[in-house]
Amino acid sequence: MSAPSNLARERRSAGLVPLAWRNLLANKPRLLRSSGGIGFAVLLMMMQLGFENAFFNASLEIIRLLDGDIFLQRGSKYRFATKDPFPFRDLEAARAVPGVASAWPLYADWHHLFWRNPADGKDFLVRVFAFDPGQSVLSLPELSANLSALRNLDTAIVDRRGRRFLGMDPPPPAAELNGSKIKIIGSFALGPDFENDGTVVVGDRTFARLLPGPRGGTPDVELGVIKLIPGGDPTTVQQAITAAVPTEIAVLTKAQLLELERKFQADVSSAGPIFVMGTLVGFIVGMLISYQIIYTDLADQQPQYATMKAMGYRTRYLVQVVLEQATLSALAGWVPASLIAIVLFHIVGEMALLPLHMTVQLALVSLLLTLGMCLISAVLAVRRVISADPAEVF
Amino acid sequence: MSSSLAWRILTHDKGRTALAVAGVLLAILLVFVQLGFFIAVPRGGMLLYDRTKFDLLVASTAYEYQVQPGEFPLGQLDRARAAPEVELAAPLYFGSGKWRSGEDGKAPDVFVIGLDPRYPIFASEDINRQLAAFDQTDTVLVDSMTRPMFGPLTTGRVVDIDGDKVKIGGDYVLGTGFMGLGVILVSAENFVRLFPYRQPSQVNLGLIRLKPGIDRDGAAASLRKLLGSDVRIFTRPELEAHETAYWTTRTSVGLLFGSGLIVSFIVGVMIVYQILATQISRQLPQFATLKAVGYGDRFLSGTVIIMALLIVLAGFFPALTAALGIYAVIREETLLPVEMSATRIAAVFAATLGMAAASAVLSMSSLRRADPADLFG
Repeated sequence: MSAPSNLARERRSAGLVPLAWRNLLANKPRLLRSSGGIGFAVLLMMMQLGFENAFFNASLEIIRLLDGDIFLQRGSKYRFATKDPFPFRDLEAARAVPGVASAWPLYADWHHLFWRNPADGKDFLVRVFAFDPGQSVLSLPELSANLSALRNLDTAIVDRRGRRFLGMDPPPPAAELNGSKIKIIGSFALGPDFENDGTVVVGDRTFARLLPGPRGGTPDVELGVIKLIPGGDPTTVQQAITAAVPTEIAVLTKAQLLELERKFQADVSSAGPIFVMGTLVGFIVGMLISYQIIYTDLADQQPQYATMKAMGYRTRYLVQVVLEQATLSALAGWVPASLIAIVLFHIVGEMALLPLHMTVQLALVSLLLTLGMCLISAVLAVRRVISADPAEVF
Repeated sequence: MSSSLAWRILTHDKGRTALAVAGVLLAILLVFVQLGFFIAVPRGGMLLYDRTKFDLLVASTAYEYQVQPGEFPLGQLDRARAAPEVELAAPLYFGSGKWRSGEDGKAPDVFVIGLDPRYPIFASEDINRQLAAFDQTDTVLVDSMTRPMFGPLTTGRVVDIDGDKVKIGGDYVLGTGFMGLGVILVSAENFVRLFPYRQPSQVNLGLIRLKPGIDRDGAAASLRKLLGSDVRIFTRPELEAHETAYWTTRTSVGLLFGSGLIVSFIVGVMIVYQILATQISRQLPQFATLKAVGYGDRFLSGTVIIMALLIVLAGFFPALTAALGIYAVIREETLLPVEMSATRIAAVFAATLGMAAASAVLSMSSLRRADPADLFG
């Protein structure tokens, strides 16, 4: 018998997927068990990956919301959530550069303003952003709608998605910031991150009153938010601004600002290694579960594989069936795990108020990891089939 | 009788049993690792308390957690010191400044702990010795866990904190926990020099050590009466409960690692169940034969439970050893105090037995299917 006709016969009689498919479905309780086992290992990996995403996204979210093309900040500022402001006149210098359409200040504080929950009178540290109510520097539609009212002194807009103990949802009519009475004129939905429980937005005059600048004057600027005239070359304008401001001011694009923050979080915080290690453990456990499943399965069906060998099927074909079956098991675990993860992300995300989402990227990464762990264990277990001796059947 | 049968089944096919034990080992290791993360967070928050010697903590009524403790008058500590039960009452001042001598021109925030060098409050005698030489102006001690972005931490280096020049007088080993990326110790006098707007008469925390043999709860009660309701007094267990509650319920960290822990436990049950069900289905004809010769379901269930226990026990101890290694890696990577404790070992052991029980119950159903008649099918 010639090789090509042999292969053709194999394809005709058994097809490519059908044998693996039938093997998978042959024993329903076993299928349930295996997809349960693999599925939970996958779910574990997905959760770790999802948490890692949430961790980074929570701290990047506010930077993404900044409504500008180029940003000025003090060069010594190593991350977004730290107070390291620069003088207003440096922003003025940038505004005069050709190609700049507008330059607005963002004032911010993370560690000095306490919000008193009017419901229970308790004080909590909050993150406060402030800007000229003439121009919102944050792309939050609900903010823009309330801007004119923010002009009045001692008014504020609060984050409904702040942690519940702050009492910002529903927004109270009034509260206190560092002991001064503040009228709450609206709310927006942003959410906390791993360090900030809630956010308050005030007008620049209110901010100056709460935290006066050096020598009691206007506060220094935390971040300069610059918009460019459309059609210009951003790199040229960025260079021109860099030349116009003192050397201790960093002139960054949004991508650079995001990169600085991402790098800080990745290098310095403990969260990265924790979640990577969690994912790794999930992968190893998943590999072991799927090895156990595939190995048992092959052991159970060794007579069948040996029979097929005796009938003339080649080892290559049998290995292929095993790999196909591993792929199908991987999918049988991955699909329910993804569905459960979506529900779980929603529940934990709402409870922890964190941006936990099943993204396309997360789905793909977890699918690759799942296929990887199932195929590796199939390769490890397949020796059983290769060594299947037709004579042993009898 | 059940046990000797279980033992024989397991030792009959050593390869399979080894595989099963390896699987269970990983399941237990998974629970250990997730638990380590879950507990690392509050422990990281407790670092300063864990490494100082005191019996009672005095704090403001606005106390939230260690890094956000509020302030109260120093006079309260002087009053506490005069009480007959009290051996030592040491003030702590906390502040945060810009370390303007970082790498790449960056200015990371440094957490500054101000203390009275007369009181040896640290568990590490090395730190206490260094405090004694603390009377030099503008000299600070740097925590050796301070991140590389602060630049070299060599003794004698002059650095700029909020515009003030201070000299690094040495380093100490305590850990930065969640206090910040870098931590320094200064004397109360230097603290006030660094933060001129801070009054030395307003302290952040007071550490109280009682005389030997004094009952802590009793002393706490009498000090509460003495100092009035302007301050809060925590005993050690109360403080631990408060900090743990803060980190696990007030921050999102508890929820994330808590759900990770739960899923890891479920995965563990799945693995043990998977392994056990496989073992049973392989032995099904034998179990059916036993039934046919008159052994009851109870005997067979007993055998399965003992098999589960044996597998789990064989997996537990190597898992514990591996977990110790992984904890060391996590400590290295995250600088969090992930440590193994007797209660943690006991908790995971209990969880492990739970896993064995849950999966034994789950796999009973296939045992009940063991039908003697099938043998002759």
